[in-house]
Amino acid sequence: MKILIVDDSSTMRRIIINTLSRIGYTDVVEGDNGKSGLERLGQGGVEMIITDWNMPEMDGLEFVKTVRVQNPVIPILMVTTNAAKEDIVEALQAGVNNYVVKPFTPETLKEKIESLLG
Amino acid sequence: MDQSEIDALLAGGAKSPKKPEVSAPVKDPVPVPPPVTAASHAEPHADGSGHVISELDTVTAVTERESNKVMDQLDQIGQLVNRQQLLITQIMAHEGAQAPGMQKVIHEVMSAGKEIQDKVFEAMDLMQFQDITRQKLERILHHLRQIHDYIVDLLGTGLKSDTQRPSISHTIAQTGTTPDENKAHADAVIEAFKSQKKG
Repeated sequence: MKILIVDDSSTMRRIIINTLSRIGYTDVVEGDNGKSGLERLGQGGVEMIITDWNMPEMDGLEFVKTVRVQNPVIPILMVTTNAAKEDIVEALQAGVNNYVVKPFTPETLKEKIESLLG
Repeated sequence: MDQSEIDALLAGGAKSPKKPEVSAPVKDPVPVPPPVTAASHAEPHADGSGHVISELDTVTAVTERESNKVMDQLDQIGQLVNRQQLLITQIMAHEGAQAPGMQKVIHEVMSAGKEIQDKVFEAMDLMQFQDITRQKLERILHHLRQIHDYIVDLLGTGLKSDTQRPSISHTIAQTGTTPDENKAHADAVIEAFKSQKKG
C-alpha cells in the first residue's frame, strides 16, 4: 500500500515514516505542501493520504478539498496541531476521514490508519 | 548551528531593532511620514521587524536541520542494534551457545537490545516537539508581521511582509508536548460529527 505523507516539517515526515514502517507500511511518498502533494498524487498509485494542515503555498485544508474534487474515496488522515473543535469539524466537512492532534503516540497513528483501512 | 550562522546572527544582533511605537496610535497626532526614498523601498525592514522575523526564521530552520541530525543518529543506533541482534542470532547457532548459562546471557543481551530499540523509537517520537515549537514560533512571526505591516500602513513607507508563509494554527498556544493529550477531545468531535451526519 502506497501512502502519501504531506507535511512541511521534514522531521515530522520522518517521524510518521518511522511509525508507518514499524506497523508494516514502507511504501511511502512525500510532499512538503499541498501543491507538491497534488503532484505526487497525480503520479498515481497512492492509496492513502496523511496530511498536515498548516503549510506554505497550499495548506492542508485546501489540499483536501482539491483532492476530494478529483477523488471522493481515498482515505485521508489529517495530523495537525489544530485542536479546536471548529478546526476538526471544518476538516471533516472538507473531506478528511479521521483526525490526529500532534503530538501523537505511534499507537494512535496505528489505530487511526487501521480504522481507515479496516 | 555552524560558525557562519553564529557570526551572521551576532552581526545582525549588534543592530538594535527600533521598537515599533504602537501605543495609542489613535490618540496621538498622525506622525509625519518620513520622505519616501529609494533606500526605504530597497530596505523593506528598516523598522527592524524584518530583522527579528529573519532571525526567528533562522532559528526554526536551524532547529529543524539539527533535529534531523538527531534523527540520523537515532537511525544509526537502531541499525546498530539490528546488526547486534543479527550477530547474536548467528552466535546462537554455535554449539557452545547451547549451554544453559550461555543461553541465559544471550536472552538477556537480546532483551536489552529490544529495550534499546524501543527507547530509540520513543526518542524519535519525542522529536515532534520540534514541529510544535516551530509552529508556535510561526504564530509569533505572524503577529510580528502584523505589527510590521501596521507600521508600514501608518507611515506609508516600506514594503509589506511577504505572504508565502505557512498558515498558522490559531489554537497552538494551548498545544502542549504531551502525546495524545487532545486525542479524547478530537475523537469525541469526530464521533459527534459522524452521528450528526448519519442522523
